[in-house]
Amino acid sequence: MTLKIRLARFGRRNAPFYNIVVAHARTARNSKPLEVIGTYDPKPRADAYDDSGRLHKEINLDSIRAKYWIGVGAQPTDSMWRLLSMVGIMEPKYRDTKPRKPLELPPDAKEFATNI
Amino acid sequence: MAGPPRSRDTVSGFLDFASRRNKKFGVRVVGVKEGIAYPALLPSSCQDRTNLISSRFSLRAQLSQPWTTQSRTYMARHRRDFIKWTRGPGKLLKEPRPDQTNYLETKDSKGNMLKRPFPLNPEFKSEAVLDDKAREMIWEEVMRKGKTIKQVSAELGVDITRVAAIVRLKEVEKDWISKGKKLATPYCKAILSMVPTKSFKSAEQQNVPFEPINELHIHASTMKQIFWPTSESRHFTRADAAKAFHKDMLPADERVPHPELLQMEKSLLEGKSVWEAKAEFMDAAEKSERNAAERQMRRAMAEDSATRKFNTERFEFRFKEFNSEDVGRDGRRKKAVGWKYGMPSYDRMKGAIKIPTKVPQIGWS
Repeated sequence: MTLKIRLARFGRRNAPFYNIVVAHARTARNSKPLEVIGTYDPKPRADAYDDSGRLHKEINLDSIRAKYWIGVGAQPTDSMWRLLSMVGIMEPKYRDTKPRKPLELPPDAKEFATNI
Repeated sequence: MAGPPRSRDTVSGFLDFASRRNKKFGVRVVGVKEGIAYPALLPSSCQDRTNLISSRFSLRAQLSQPWTTQSRTYMARHRRDFIKWTRGPGKLLKEPRPDQTNYLETKDSKGNMLKRPFPLNPEFKSEAVLDDKAREMIWEEVMRKGKTIKQVSAELGVDITRVAAIVRLKEVEKDWISKGKKLATPYCKAILSMVPTKSFKSAEQQNVPFEPINELHIHASTMKQIFWPTSESRHFTRADAAKAFHKDMLPADERVPHPELLQMEKSLLEGKSVWEAKAEFMDAAEKSERNAAERQMRRAMAEDSATRKFNTERFEFRFKEFNSEDVGRDGRRKKAVGWKYGMPSYDRMKGAIKIPTKVPQIGWS
């Protein structure tokens, strides 16, 4: 069965907290995984005594195990891909972060669109 | 006309009132009820009552006030006595006495005058607090003169943690003043005028210590009773006693907040001069504080170097390395990160204290 590296939501209402887990794709989100390889706290926090307004997010990750599981075919979910690409374990999936322009349509298609 | 039940006094009062009204209007009502004439054959007490009833009906329209009287307020004897007391000896306690305490004054069994907030509770003692002048002085000593917290603590006899807290809060206060924030000065003044306060002359002069500063905190490992067989010839020291309790336990001389003060006393016993011993103490206190600061710095730097940081436009992502194999046999080791499977989380347990017990240090994340 497909192995996934994914997030399992714990925490409370309005206070999410994720375990980074390796689990079979078809198992329930919060079921017992094969392995917990880290945590992800999505709540942005400020440093103590820092009034600059700069916030950070904290992630614990066993990068050795993450690399191993990817080596044996585990597939990170999109959100996990994004995190793993930050530490250089995966190639970034979405490089271009600029908003996309609408596709340039061929001239006859434009004509077709106006005739409708 | 079912009115509220009346007490005897009220009824008699009513009778008087009714008869007076009758005289006034020149009406003689005898045995008349709702327009029916009765012969005056009833006994006198009953006649009175009839009189009352009939007059009530006949005079009802003429009287402006309603036919109820206020019930008498119930006041227990204790309350009456208390009100009497507040007008007598308790009068002094109504307003606070300026710049001194205004506690109840009673005598104990030996006739000594007691001044306590609650005279019957001997355990409740109102401890003195440092007044603003003293706190300002502590801040001056630490921040302006650059003395270490330990030195100031030893000189004035104020607990280390209290000195640190005063400096921290004074910094906040000064920050607020510089930002033009409003302080709760009247509140502070009012409280300080009502509680016993302690002030210092100056740091150079000999001051009466504010509180005991070198008390040994009771460690849980020392609470057990141990029978430790040892030979009589052996010189069993406090260090040995500490080792008997736990292999990592420090001797009591090192666990106290001011081990340097103990060393100073030892030097004095050895015959060193007071100035020499004091200079030694000042050096040792400074050194210990510098060591603590360096330790903290090293810890922060080690943590910083172990963290990989990735900046995005909005947030900084901080990755810390963690060993997922060091989580115990069942993955539920306390040190292991993340939420545990099949284990209750006590974060919502009743009575759990969530007030932080530590002040975050710079460099902690």
